[in-house]
Amino acid sequence: MSNPLEEVGHKWGMVIDQDLCTGCQACVTACAMENNIAFVGEQDAAYGRSLQWIRVERFWEGEFPEVKSTPFQPVLCQQCGQAPCEPVCPVYASVHSENQQINIQVYNRCVGTRYCANNCPYQARVFNWRDYREPGPLDNALNPDVTVRRRGIMEKCTFCVQRIVQGEDTARAEGRQMADGEVVPACAQACPTEAIVFGRLDDPDSLVSRLKRDGRAVQLLEELGTQPSVTYLKGGSSYGRNG
Amino acid sequence: MTEKLSRRDFLKLTAAGAGATAVLTGCGPASRYVVRSPYAEMPEYTYNGQSTFYATTCRECPAGCGIVVRTHQGRALKIEGNPSHPVNLGKTCSRGQAALQGLYNPDRVEAPQALAAGDRQEIDWDRAIRVVREALIGNRPEEIAFLLGPSPDHLYDLVSEIMRSLGGPAPLCYGTQALFEARATLVQATAQVLNRTALPFCDLGGSDVAFSFGANFLETWLSPLAYGRGFARMRRGQVGRRGFLVQFEPRLSQTGAAADEWIAVAPGTEGLVALALGRLVAEARGGLVPAAYREVDVATAAEASGVPEGTLTRLAGIFANAEHPLAVPGGAALGHVNGLEAARAVLTLNALAGNLGQPGGVFLTPVPNVHPDSRRGPDTLVEINALIGRMRSGQVKALFVHGINPAFELPAALGFTAALENVPQIISFASFPDETALLADYIFPDHTPLESWGYQKVRTGSDRAALSGAQPVVVPFHNTRATVDVLLAAIQAAGGDLAAGVPYSDEVDFLQQSLLTLVQEAGNIAAPEIRTFMTQFQQYGGWWAAEAGLDAPSTPAPLERPLRLIEPEFAGEGEFHLHVYPSPILGDGAGANRPWLQETPDPMTTVMWNTWVEINPETADELGLEDNDVVRVASDFGAIEAPVYRYPAIRRDTIAIPFGQGHTALGRYADGRGANPVALLGLKLTGAGDLAFAATRVRLEKTGRTSILARLESRIGVYGEGLE
Repeated sequence: MSNPLEEVGHKWGMVIDQDLCTGCQACVTACAMENNIAFVGEQDAAYGRSLQWIRVERFWEGEFPEVKSTPFQPVLCQQCGQAPCEPVCPVYASVHSENQQINIQVYNRCVGTRYCANNCPYQARVFNWRDYREPGPLDNALNPDVTVRRRGIMEKCTFCVQRIVQGEDTARAEGRQMADGEVVPACAQACPTEAIVFGRLDDPDSLVSRLKRDGRAVQLLEELGTQPSVTYLKGGSSYGRNG
Repeated sequence: MTEKLSRRDFLKLTAAGAGATAVLTGCGPASRYVVRSPYAEMPEYTYNGQSTFYATTCRECPAGCGIVVRTHQGRALKIEGNPSHPVNLGKTCSRGQAALQGLYNPDRVEAPQALAAGDRQEIDWDRAIRVVREALIGNRPEEIAFLLGPSPDHLYDLVSEIMRSLGGPAPLCYGTQALFEARATLVQATAQVLNRTALPFCDLGGSDVAFSFGANFLETWLSPLAYGRGFARMRRGQVGRRGFLVQFEPRLSQTGAAADEWIAVAPGTEGLVALALGRLVAEARGGLVPAAYREVDVATAAEASGVPEGTLTRLAGIFANAEHPLAVPGGAALGHVNGLEAARAVLTLNALAGNLGQPGGVFLTPVPNVHPDSRRGPDTLVEINALIGRMRSGQVKALFVHGINPAFELPAALGFTAALENVPQIISFASFPDETALLADYIFPDHTPLESWGYQKVRTGSDRAALSGAQPVVVPFHNTRATVDVLLAAIQAAGGDLAAGVPYSDEVDFLQQSLLTLVQEAGNIAAPEIRTFMTQFQQYGGWWAAEAGLDAPSTPAPLERPLRLIEPEFAGEGEFHLHVYPSPILGDGAGANRPWLQETPDPMTTVMWNTWVEINPETADELGLEDNDVVRVASDFGAIEAPVYRYPAIRRDTIAIPFGQGHTALGRYADGRGANPVALLGLKLTGAGDLAFAATRVRLEKTGRTSILARLESRIGVYGEGLE
């Protein structure tokens, strides 16, 4: 008898088009509101302890007046196929999910060694240095589908696994295949320019698979062999008209 | 234990036997940990474990985007865009996402209050309504003034009707959001060039080359989500062709960073550059140069703007050869004394390109037919100043304030706060204890937007006429009351002609009567009568026309009139131009009390929770300024202090400060954080009578202190510890 879990096993992935990203930060705020991410305040934010699971990077090139910023680059957990954070965890809190082919963090196993964050080449993991409780009544908006983390716990992007699981459950209950685009994480749902595209990489016809085959596709630190599930489409492309 | 032992006896026995031990768990402290609402109070349509979704309108800015709010057992959990709404098609921005932190903000005004000598005392709504009634009928109509914010529109329409019925002055509508958009100036320029008093809609999505003169349309300008969608279509929507965007502005904005080219024009010369480009484009196309450009001297424009003639010629060539070129006027380019002429010059470029009413060109958005008689005039600083003058001379006896925080938003040089002292009665409808509310005599808190009914007219951004609808997504969290209901209750209590002239029983009745005109129009709602219509209006999140379609401007030949530009003038003395821009995250400053907006990094500097001063690194070197050095920025009108951020992409003669922080009230997350740059602004005006907010000069002084900015761009922290 086949394992029923295998039947719904998918490989989820994301493509981010840097030519479309406007750096507006809607993904950052949307992620925080969906995933019960706590705010840490000015001082801890300056210590680098803020808990955003996704950040928008930009770098400067050149000097005035020939200066420009590099295309905006949202960086989140790359959900590596060979994740550097996994083998270093002594308590198996950072593990690979067979079902969604993502890297998941098991909060109630985590003992806070922070080895995983040290080993992550993308700096995608954030650590709860304190109990950042949201004062009432702000906690009314907490998402009941997502665990609230406490002090001493490592956390990171989950590809909104609660939405994936719900989508898979719904499709299974209705006895059908999932449609492309049926599940979107909070960042992709908010993204005003649809620069963030999410879907199944195991389906070669999905939009995310097709975009991944684009000539502009690159992956962050490919040379490390981490096999990221996130692909970037280079921005500022030189084809077509360019001045 | 016998069967006859009653519960009462049992309690007696245990009390005697167990002594002081608490066995009555129903009354002990443990019971407080479990609080369940009785099923009798369960909100409608609520099932355990299932979410209910409500469509409503985002009111974090006046664009009128549709949102769908996920609620769970009576709590609002998450905001998403409404996929069928014509403005944002399912998308949201940071500010919309964080709107929940307004609803559940810990520092809301929870009940009506009377303020006296710094003391805030709760009163009941009956007394509040008596106060409003007395203010409306106890004063002469011309002694009453309403100062309203950019949303919601249904309140504006009702207040207009009340004031018409009373015979008093029409309500004023203002806000820094509209100021930094240069909305009033743009509307007047559109009236002059395109023959309609309205906001233009620039079809970015259909254009292949777009020149934006100061319009920060990917941040806060007019309808950022609609323009974001247009930007995406321009870049990637057409097969084999990638749109090309050029941004003309003295400081590289987030919009400029997403553009292909940034031209650092001198402040106040944006219009001049548009004129020079117009002439060069006309020449490149051959034939007679239109009258509009015959007086333009390209060399003078190049020298004044600091843009080399070669660059102008190259850009003009790109514009002239484009299939669908587009020019967008907005923001700081229009915030100069020649801002109106600059807006006309940029709009005229579109006429030259022949794109008016064409794909990739300029359109006008039809406004839905709801209370057309109270078409909201874009009020200007001149009108606000007239109100302040009347306040100062004691001609205003009762001032009502809603949706705007003038003590924070208006330039300090106008003297609004001082003028308030001569107003005997100030009534604020603020949901939060903002700067203005704390100076009022009464705060009668309105519901926050997610608890409110209403509508917002879509003025630009949609592809058709649209009226965005609002409905409560949760029951009111505190003892607040809808301002429309408060006004209507006061009017009913007053009776007489006023009550006869404003014949609505409550807010929903007013909405239904307002929407009557739409029932017969072809739109997304097919309903024979108003109750069914209203149900679908709530379900869809608004009404919009059945067919997409915008109006093509009927233009009175703008190319035949010569275009001239007056010399830019600047208020005050100083070695730097001051470029104040609205924070893309905090907007008009009302977002500063949302902790997640405070912690969302600024897109360009990645600074959180504070105000900074952007200065060119070379200039900073000359002045010996490092990151985080606190400087005193002084104009002839005021001074503020803030830390330096060495910003690589700003002209050397310009410094930039974001607007949004510097609150002295508004609750724990906003109060005492950063500095408010409107303290610096001089009072030069544009030709349309609005503030030339980019026309102030400032001086910089070192204070010798440092204050460290929290920046995300260094994840190891910015205090420098452990780096040596």
